[in-house]
Amino acid sequence: MLITRRETGTNEEVQITALEDKDLKKLTQSRYFFDWKKAREEGTVYKLSLVEGDDILGLISLIEVSVEKRVEIALLCVSRENKGRNKKYDTIAGCLIAFACRIALEAFGIDACVSLIPKTELKEHYKSKYNMLDGGWQMYLEGKSLKEIIIKHYI
Amino acid sequence: MSVKKLIAELSPEELVDSFVFPVRLNKKQKQEAAEQLAAARKKSQSATSEEDKLILGLLRLKFQIETYIKSEKYDHKLSFGYFLKEYVSLLQIKRKLFAEELSIDETLLSQLINQKRDPPEYLMVRLEIHSNNAIPADYWFRVMESAVNMKLKPIKNYGEKRKNLFRINYQLLSDITLL
Repeated sequence: MLITRRETGTNEEVQITALEDKDLKKLTQSRYFFDWKKAREEGTVYKLSLVEGDDILGLISLIEVSVEKRVEIALLCVSRENKGRNKKYDTIAGCLIAFACRIALEAFGIDACVSLIPKTELKEHYKSKYNMLDGGWQMYLEGKSLKEIIIKHYI
Repeated sequence: MSVKKLIAELSPEELVDSFVFPVRLNKKQKQEAAEQLAAARKKSQSATSEEDKLILGLLRLKFQIETYIKSEKYDHKLSFGYFLKEYVSLLQIKRKLFAEELSIDETLLSQLINQKRDPPEYLMVRLEIHSNNAIPADYWFRVMESAVNMKLKPIKNYGEKRKNLFRINYQLLSDITLL
């Protein structure tokens, strides 16, 4: 998986791994926006970092809903310097969403689904940015759209 | 920074490029959300093409092999034969035809799937080509390698325990190497 450093246009390899206890003290709300300790009590939290370096650039909290063959993205953020027009790296959130798709696909097979509950005003934007499908309260990826985001970020 | 401040500061495009915010639904809303999603998925699942299903199946198998070899934990169930069987069933073709496509005998294919024989190295490359590079040869090789390492483990342990008995021979061997 690669993310792009905007300053130079170079691609850098990243890895996504489960958040460890020792990471928690680094996760200040000023840099990572949410209470990740609490998120960890409700779901499984993964961190995205450069392969060469241990700085955390993004986080995602996932909840597996096995009975529905679905993984829910409960929370996601990039680190402070990677948001907005002056962000340092591109496609961190895309990589994290593709990772959720991978987890769902491995666990549930070709019927796997990844969903999230968007803020109402962002619904259309998740649709255009990630090709998410409209599921009423929820937006989701499944079948072709799930395949495409995996191929975009993994292949 | 609160969610409100972020929403005020960033454009919607920038927000979806950086966040999924926490949204709490009440019990009634949760029920409604589950029903709506189930109805939407029913439609989208029926629209998934056979080609997309095959690609998803191949991606899944690739990820499963990758997760297994990265874990470095041997699992006798996740053998070369197991993954090969999964691959053949994904393709939904008869074993005879699959064996022909790989230019191997059907009996050999059956022996490999049932773990009666170790896979020959040329087969890994043929499988890579057959999957159009979706599953690289080294993935198949590393699955086989993990089983070989497991078989060697007791032999290695036996050798370690009796190392002292062979000290003279080791010396002799190193002298020969120096000559």
